[in-house]
Amino acid sequence: MEPAEVEFLAEKELVTIVPNFSLDRIHLIGGDLGPFNPGLPVEVPVWLAINLKQRQKCRLIPPEWMDVGKLEEIRDQERKEDTFTPMPSPYYMELTKLLLNYASDNIPRADEIRTLVKDTWDTRMAKLRLSADSFVQQQEIHAKLDNLTLMEINTTGTFLTQALDHMYKLRTNLQPGESSHSQDF
Amino acid sequence: MAEAYFPVGPGLGTEENFLSLDDILMSQEKLPGRAESALPRLAVLLGQGAGSGESVPEGSKLEIPLWLAKGLHDSKRRIISVELPKIYKEAWRTVFSADANVVDLHKMGPYYYGFGSQLLNFEHPENPEIAQTILQATVSDRVCSLQTFVARFRRIMDSSQNAYNEDTSALVARLDQLERALFQVGQKGLNDFQSWEKGQASQITASSLVQNYGKRKLTEVDG
Repeated sequence: MEPAEVEFLAEKELVTIVPNFSLDRIHLIGGDLGPFNPGLPVEVPVWLAINLKQRQKCRLIPPEWMDVGKLEEIRDQERKEDTFTPMPSPYYMELTKLLLNYASDNIPRADEIRTLVKDTWDTRMAKLRLSADSFVQQQEIHAKLDNLTLMEINTTGTFLTQALDHMYKLRTNLQPGESSHSQDF
Repeated sequence: MAEAYFPVGPGLGTEENFLSLDDILMSQEKLPGRAESALPRLAVLLGQGAGSGESVPEGSKLEIPLWLAKGLHDSKRRIISVELPKIYKEAWRTVFSADANVVDLHKMGPYYYGFGSQLLNFEHPENPEIAQTILQATVSDRVCSLQTFVARFRRIMDSSQNAYNEDTSALVARLDQLERALFQVGQKGLNDFQSWEKGQASQITASSLVQNYGKRKLTEVDG
């Protein structure tokens, strides 16, 4: 899976906007949205929010976890624990990138938020690599990791599964199989 | 998912995959061996003589590619006998168990893991007095390959995930083919993520194939 595909899945998440136009309820295949009234907050999927923002038809309200204090807490907890902390949103990386790229004027202290999320991401990736390494060194059969997001899995997934494939191939050599006799002639 | 076709990977264990390019290249690697019986008129093919009618005398030492050795290896008609190349022998095995990260696996035959797996095909039944030792050796060969891989895994993972936009030729020079493939996969994951983060993933760029069309038309008009 490519990062762009993971971002596509992330765009289904709901976010609050304040529109400056009015529109009745719209009926889409995925569900109903609206009604939109100027000045009244409404919840829409991220893909619509970004589109409206680019056309300057709304103002984005950052999700309640996208706040410097909260993110600092999460980052510190991530550094303390050996296991993965549950993240406030399963798509925190993608939402951060999208909202900070398109709506940084609506988000207070955007640069600090970007740095904090990046720090948390780096810590989590380092933990993931560490656990992959100990998994391989001890040649365990299966492992379980909680609270990983799709983006993290996607970035390291292909490498890990291929390495484990090779290990499996080398390990089948350890079983002395029946020798295949070529045809006698 | 985005590929138009999937290349066939190398084979499992002691079996090769017939259609795998990696396996074909790997089976070209040479083994030291001895001719057990005289091979008439084959001296030129095996690099032993100059005339086209010379035969290889019995007992002479040969360097045979793996595919030839596998085909000619037969316990009843003693044509060829093979021995393990020196990097799979006892001396090198102790080097690997000491520290596997130091060894330049690319120099030791660029297909260390695949070739080692194939060598386990040769059970050497025609030498009963050393069969026991060989069996012992082959068992520890298998363990050694796995341990080497496991020991080097950390280095490959760290270097492939952290070297973004740098010259990686120094890192890759000491890896054999299997490890290089792994390294490239790791790099690709990293590069994809970084380019997505920079926003390049949603930019439409002209395909490299199409960029040459304009240039080609000019030369056709001139020529």
